[in-house]
Amino acid sequence: MQYLIQLLISGLAIGAIYGLIAMGFAVIYKSTGLVNFAQGEMTMITAYIAWTISTTVSGNVFVVAVGAILAAVLLGLVIERLVMRPMLGEPVFATVMVTIGLAVILRSAINFIWDAYPHGLDIGMGRGIVHLGGIGVRTGQIAVIVTLLALLAAIWAFFRYSKVGVAMRAVAADDRTALLMGISATKVHALAWAASSVIAGIGGVFFALSYDLSPAMFQLGLKAFPATILGGLDAVLGSGLGGLLIGITENLAGGYVGSGMKEVAGFAMIIVVLMIRPFGIFGERDIERV
Amino acid sequence: MIRHLAAASLLLSTACLAIGPAAAADPGITDTEILIGDVEPLTGPPALLGVAASIGHKIAIAEANAAGGINGRKIKYVLEDDGYVTARTIQGVKKVIDVDKVFAMIGISGSGQSIAVMPVLEKSGIPSVIDVAPVKFLWEPPRKNVFVVGQSYEEGIIHLVNFLADKNPGKKWGLITQDDDYGITVRDGFDTVVKAKKLNVVYSGNYKKGQQDFSSDMLQLKDSGAEVFLAGGIISENIAMMKELEKLSIKPVTGIFWPGRIEPVLKLMGPAGDGIYAVDYVEPFAGEAGKAFLEKAKPLVSEAEFKGINRYTMTGYAAAKVLIAAIERCGKQPTWACTIAELEKTRNVETGVMAPISFGPGVRFSNQKLQIMQADTATLSFKPVQ
Repeated sequence: MQYLIQLLISGLAIGAIYGLIAMGFAVIYKSTGLVNFAQGEMTMITAYIAWTISTTVSGNVFVVAVGAILAAVLLGLVIERLVMRPMLGEPVFATVMVTIGLAVILRSAINFIWDAYPHGLDIGMGRGIVHLGGIGVRTGQIAVIVTLLALLAAIWAFFRYSKVGVAMRAVAADDRTALLMGISATKVHALAWAASSVIAGIGGVFFALSYDLSPAMFQLGLKAFPATILGGLDAVLGSGLGGLLIGITENLAGGYVGSGMKEVAGFAMIIVVLMIRPFGIFGERDIERV
Repeated sequence: MIRHLAAASLLLSTACLAIGPAAAADPGITDTEILIGDVEPLTGPPALLGVAASIGHKIAIAEANAAGGINGRKIKYVLEDDGYVTARTIQGVKKVIDVDKVFAMIGISGSGQSIAVMPVLEKSGIPSVIDVAPVKFLWEPPRKNVFVVGQSYEEGIIHLVNFLADKNPGKKWGLITQDDDYGITVRDGFDTVVKAKKLNVVYSGNYKKGQQDFSSDMLQLKDSGAEVFLAGGIISENIAMMKELEKLSIKPVTGIFWPGRIEPVLKLMGPAGDGIYAVDYVEPFAGEAGKAFLEKAKPLVSEAEFKGINRYTMTGYAAAKVLIAAIERCGKQPTWACTIAELEKTRNVETGVMAPISFGPGVRFSNQKLQIMQADTATLSFKPVQ
């Protein structure tokens, strides 16, 4: 039983990170109808910025958190303004290709700006181990699960009750009608990129806390993408939950079937789910596929 | 008359064939410069290796240039990034040879990339010394113009597992490897010793390249009761594995392979990495030879490059020293044919960073001597085990 619980907790912890990044995918898709293939790289850049702040400016957790969030906002806004906005009105395929190009540039930027060495993000917390009934868990892993759940609730409330959230839903539903109603689609897009960058960046920072930073971190985007598809490409909350499901499935497969099955299990799961519900568990039926 | 003409033609043809590509081409040499080319992963996950190796090349080149160059010619280094993508390695090597027209090649990317680029190198006939990826395919069968400095992965693993088996008789073993050529080589070496010493293997895992979370794998290892563990990851994977073991409150006797035997890894592993064993054929930085190398390197590279030095810098440095020495022995007018012949004559060349290097007729692999080291977290270093 302890074996199973340990697998579940570890699965939830890594799944929460997938979930945060998956929510980043969904926020952009929901607002712009675009799949951002640079999501993993944006996650990685934010984590590296957090590390830089912690090592050069301050290791204080609040300074690092605020700095990283501001940096993520800026990163999202800059990408939207300089890279994505000029692509407005262009075919979806071309725009998606731009995100792939952006991913390669951001990936290479790591080595040019920082280096290829692995680094640890040390902010004085998150790395300690607590034993719950004989099961070892890092405090950062507990924190990321709690953060994901809190963000899920906050985002639900944001889309449900706030004016901006309703505006984002309106633009996603029909941007021309939203425009006629006085909603600025470009502002909504910019906000979506900023929000996506922050949410995914939080995932990246937690990953760096629990594991380490390395140029291979961009691959988290590849792991989180199935979570988005599973939860629903247009379902922000569903994507978060999809991440948890993928994390747990991976760990159970790794623990009971064999270590080689770990990476395969998540993808096998989405194939099965998509055969039954092509729009994902929480997605809406009408999805324009890329 | 006809007989004389035929004999003369035959002689001329033979002479052309003998000196053919070298005398006809001999690119990369001017009155003042000799160009040496390299294609390495400077971006992407294995950039840690490629960048460090290129720093080693730069150190050897800077050292030679400071001493007047090769018989009066300064060495110019042409470095291309392949991002660890095989297609880009081939493209890069072709570019360096055909466009930059270098005189010799050095370094050259990782295992799969080196294997893929071998037909290009062989066809070109350019003198090449590979130091990044010592895989058997590169020297078996021996290729006329390709020399490899280092030790095979398989031999390295056999040496490490033999050491750990002798030190821990009758213990239960666990192993995890990556699902690629590298992992297969690690597993092959491990299996050789398992068979010979009849080791009791209770856990055998395999992870997908790029995996970052090892929680279920290490839980399985714990569940199996393994007491000796061969962590067959490269860099980040080994760190993740050790930290998982720490979380699970177990500490098996652990061995890692040389790609991960770099000092920053110990810092990231923290106490979890204390005492782990590693095998290598280059000197540890904690030893006298390592310290002397760092002293030598400091004035020759930038501050940023100095920080990027790791064991691959030593392999790069040694390979470049061997190549430079061979070209130098060719005198004022070095050719490809002469350089290859001189590389073949390499005998006990001292580099200070590994055992003396030798090649020979039909011997294109330097077959470096191995040693076991142990991690010391307090000093963040690996120290030789006597």
